[in-house]
Amino acid sequence: MAGNERVTPPRSTDTNRSDDSEPTEGSIPDEGQTPDAAEDAASALAGDTLELTYPTADGTVVECGRVDVPEGEITALVGPNGSGKSTLLKALASHLEPAAGVVRLRGEDLRSFGPKEIARELGLLSQENESVGDVTVEDLVAHGRYPHRGFFDGLTETDREAIDRAIELAGIDDLRTTELGQLSGGQKQLAWIAMVLAQDTDILLLDEPTTFLDLHHQFRVLETIRELNERRDVTVAIVLHDVSQAARFADNLIALYEGEPYDWGPPEEIVTEQLLADVFGVEATVQYEPELQINPKRALGNRTR
Amino acid sequence: MAESQTAGGHPTRQRDGWVTPTLVAFCAASAAITVVAGLVQVSFGSYSMTLLEAWEAVVDPAVLFDGDAWRAFLLGEELPEMGSNSLVVWEIRLPRVFVAIITGATLAISGAIFQGVTRNELASPFVLGVSSGAGFAVLATLVVFSGLTTFLPFIATAGGTVAFLIVYVIAWKGGTSPVRLVLAGVIVNMVFQSLQQGLFFFADDLGVVQTAISWLTGSLTGTGWSEVRMAAIPAVVAIVAALAGARQLNVLLLGERTARSLGMRVETIRFGLSAVAILAASVAISVAGVVSFFGLVVPHIVRNVVGSDYRPLMIGCLFAGPALMVVADVGARLALGGTQLPVGVVTGLVGGPYFLYLMRRQRSMGEL
Repeated sequence: MAGNERVTPPRSTDTNRSDDSEPTEGSIPDEGQTPDAAEDAASALAGDTLELTYPTADGTVVECGRVDVPEGEITALVGPNGSGKSTLLKALASHLEPAAGVVRLRGEDLRSFGPKEIARELGLLSQENESVGDVTVEDLVAHGRYPHRGFFDGLTETDREAIDRAIELAGIDDLRTTELGQLSGGQKQLAWIAMVLAQDTDILLLDEPTTFLDLHHQFRVLETIRELNERRDVTVAIVLHDVSQAARFADNLIALYEGEPYDWGPPEEIVTEQLLADVFGVEATVQYEPELQINPKRALGNRTR
Repeated sequence: MAESQTAGGHPTRQRDGWVTPTLVAFCAASAAITVVAGLVQVSFGSYSMTLLEAWEAVVDPAVLFDGDAWRAFLLGEELPEMGSNSLVVWEIRLPRVFVAIITGATLAISGAIFQGVTRNELASPFVLGVSSGAGFAVLATLVVFSGLTTFLPFIATAGGTVAFLIVYVIAWKGGTSPVRLVLAGVIVNMVFQSLQQGLFFFADDLGVVQTAISWLTGSLTGTGWSEVRMAAIPAVVAIVAALAGARQLNVLLLGERTARSLGMRVETIRFGLSAVAILAASVAISVAGVVSFFGLVVPHIVRNVVGSDYRPLMIGCLFAGPALMVVADVGARLALGGTQLPVGVVTGLVGGPYFLYLMRRQRSMGEL
């Protein structure tokens, strides 16, 4: 597209990690406040005046003027149940056609891409996956190469390398020939993640990848994603329902409340006691030193919704 | 954790290794069964000859290496002179075996595809309305438009396609879902079956009724080279397309959402594969009628042995389908001595209980 130069924003991707002891100043322009052209180019994915509805349900589920997934960063969507996190993610992944507004992939309308083109640019891991009993991990991961193969193509050497790399990244090399039905929930999730990794996309969208996992596997999953982001500069948008996990893990948060973004930005800036009360309905204390920590105290009474 | 142990380099690659020893053994066994049952089929019957005579006739060099004979078989030209043993074997008994092979293979892959496309283990050409649509078209041709009998295969295909399209339209609601497809199939099935029964009232000739009944139960009685000629080419097309679609079916098995996020045009692929399955089912229906339970059960048998990966599954179906069909037809033709049963009766009687057995054994079956 002409007139849409990829302006490199005055932002580095690695200096604003949340594990830095202090919030880095200046590296993050206050994005999202007023969208402008430079930001458009900096976003790997951006939603513009989105209205999302489901054909089966009445009313708008998500309505947001502007949502950005900045290039090369980890953005977490947080919010209470039913706040529209997954819906928003689906729209960003082109699985849900917006009733109004556009989703832009690096500045270009997502609808102008073919399905395989999209699948080469962004990988999506759904919250729940079908149970497929007797597929081996390796075969599952090999399916991640689907968008790179023609109808009759076999696996090329590039495909094999991508599969090996994905399996290694997910740390499930020892499970290669195991059938999915024999894996624990956590191992299964890692296998599915490996499949999405084999897609070899620059953008990853993950819908609650840690929800049903034990602590060990939660960390394995998040570490895998973090490693991918750091080593290969993959842009990540992830729905997490645990806000403290999200605050520790992500570079940016988008807090959704009743289908609208309540606030967005680096966790250190936006996670406040006020936000936790308004969005999540909990009374909590937030500690910023030495690192961001949320200590929920109790549920705030009588939320009507 | 474990990654440290294997980080050094990958073990042997066995990624395209879906051709397992199990699959090879399964196919070999199926092929052997096909051959044995075929030999039984050519050896016995109302024209009596000894086993030796029959087998000599099968390998009769005067027929095997006779260009004219093959032209007669495959192109429908005039049959050259041959001994009466050879004539019975080559003109009557063997072609029936070949027809059984073709119907077995096409029904099996048709069922396998439908089960993958709908992600439903109960799907088959029968459940999705294809069989009843094709059956109705055939019946209508026999009873009402008897001048068009030569085009039966095309008419059967058309009927099957129309019925499936109706199912698709009913099930379509901004996309289809497996459950809606099956439910719509059940309804369309009922409608077409009522239509079939209604048509019987317009048949004034008992002979027509009997022909019609043998169509509706599925029968290989009286099939010969002309059926082989009719079915062979579309069968090959359907089989090649089915094999090519195996990987798409594997991706579909991962669920619609995953398939979509991998960049598959799910509805297009689903529709294309359905078309292949319709073609395959129609081939079988056009020469043998509606053979019940076959397309449902065979993929299950194969899946039990080789697993649910569609690449070996398709290959397995291509071998197991013919084996079971030839065996069933041996039963249909020879079990009752003088009277020939329609093969569909045999497959229904054997397939039904076997399917129940499978259902009870696998608790996972029956989850839509």
